[in-house]
Amino acid sequence: MAHNKTIAIIGATGNVGSAIAKCLSVTSNRLLLMSKEAEALAQLISDIRLASPAVEIESATCAKEASWEADLIVVASSSIEGKEIAERIREVAIGKIVISVSQPINGCLNIVASPSNISAAEELQQLLPHSKVVKTFNTAFALDRFTPKSICNFADSFIAGNNGAAVDTVVELVRSAGFNPIPVGDLSASRMLERMQLKTIDQPVKNRSGWLNWLNRLTN
Amino acid sequence: MHEQLDNTLRMKVALSEEEWASVKSFFIPKKLRKRQYLLNAGDVCQYFCFVEKGLLRSFSVDKHANEHVVQFALEGWWISDMGSFLSGDNSIYNIEALEDAELLLLTKQAMDDMLNQIPKMERYFRMLMQNNIVVLQRRILGTLSLSAEEKYKRMMLLYPDILQRSPQQYVASFLGITPETLSRVRKQVSSGK
Repeated sequence: MAHNKTIAIIGATGNVGSAIAKCLSVTSNRLLLMSKEAEALAQLISDIRLASPAVEIESATCAKEASWEADLIVVASSSIEGKEIAERIREVAIGKIVISVSQPINGCLNIVASPSNISAAEELQQLLPHSKVVKTFNTAFALDRFTPKSICNFADSFIAGNNGAAVDTVVELVRSAGFNPIPVGDLSASRMLERMQLKTIDQPVKNRSGWLNWLNRLTN
Repeated sequence: MHEQLDNTLRMKVALSEEEWASVKSFFIPKKLRKRQYLLNAGDVCQYFCFVEKGLLRSFSVDKHANEHVVQFALEGWWISDMGSFLSGDNSIYNIEALEDAELLLLTKQAMDDMLNQIPKMERYFRMLMQNNIVVLQRRILGTLSLSAEEKYKRMMLLYPDILQRSPQQYVASFLGITPETLSRVRKQVSSGK
């Protein structure tokens, strides 16, 4: 069943959620955008329809219902909200790919370590034991958050996940959205990706080709 | 979400609470809206599908663009293209939701893992396949030997819910008769002639 997927984006009106929605609107997938901010959601969908008239896109007000209908779920919320969302969608997310874009940061732009000192993506995987959590997109919009006009300009999107088939699916999705997918290993690699993102917020990278340098710096 | 599956399995096998919890973890819950497709002809059938709620049909389309309904699936039934599911070859069938549907999907890997881990499910699927063979044989003989009126009467007896809920052109296709013939037969049967 290689036909187009239904993708639910939970937290679609946030900075990252809306950026992901815009990028995925150029793919042939059907989008279900979920947000509690009804007005912002309606505006976002209107903007996306204007830019991509062929897109199949709908709003949703319930994370569980949207995830139930979805083939693939994007949790685009803070890591704290992500835990609440995980509780709500656990039963309907069984067997599905769940993309984590959460950043466990506090107001001082520091990583908020979990008690077990694992990444937000690994925490999400623990909360959704029968889903296939994949980390991606968390670094892709680091600069664009502050320059929305350039959304989708940035090419690389790193991908980490434990399930090989799920990573392959996300690689294709990321590619179809206009990014250069770079698999970096299993979900433990998301610790590095989350710290990488923190660096880019803390110290914006001027040269947009500098990602691999950052990667090397963080891993060495 | 798993009520129908629970009821269906209970009729054949007695699972412990632990086994039931494990069984549920193999199924992907999926909602389809009316007229959405679970399978498109030309794709590989990736799922063995259990219907919790709704009505689906599987059908093929011939070179003259005529549709041929092979199967309906109501609550508590299974639907798939077994050939494509097992072989990985492209399917010649489409599977469409005729009503908003709640489904539970098994991938090939999930099914293999479940059958390995839970022998009672192996027994359940053996019985399911046996029943399917009986139904298929009955359907083949009916298609070859029964008149249009006999086919319709048997459908009234066996699948009254499908007659109520499906568009009539799909019922006609399933029975291998034209919609006009179905309309005529229905009038004859309802008037008692």
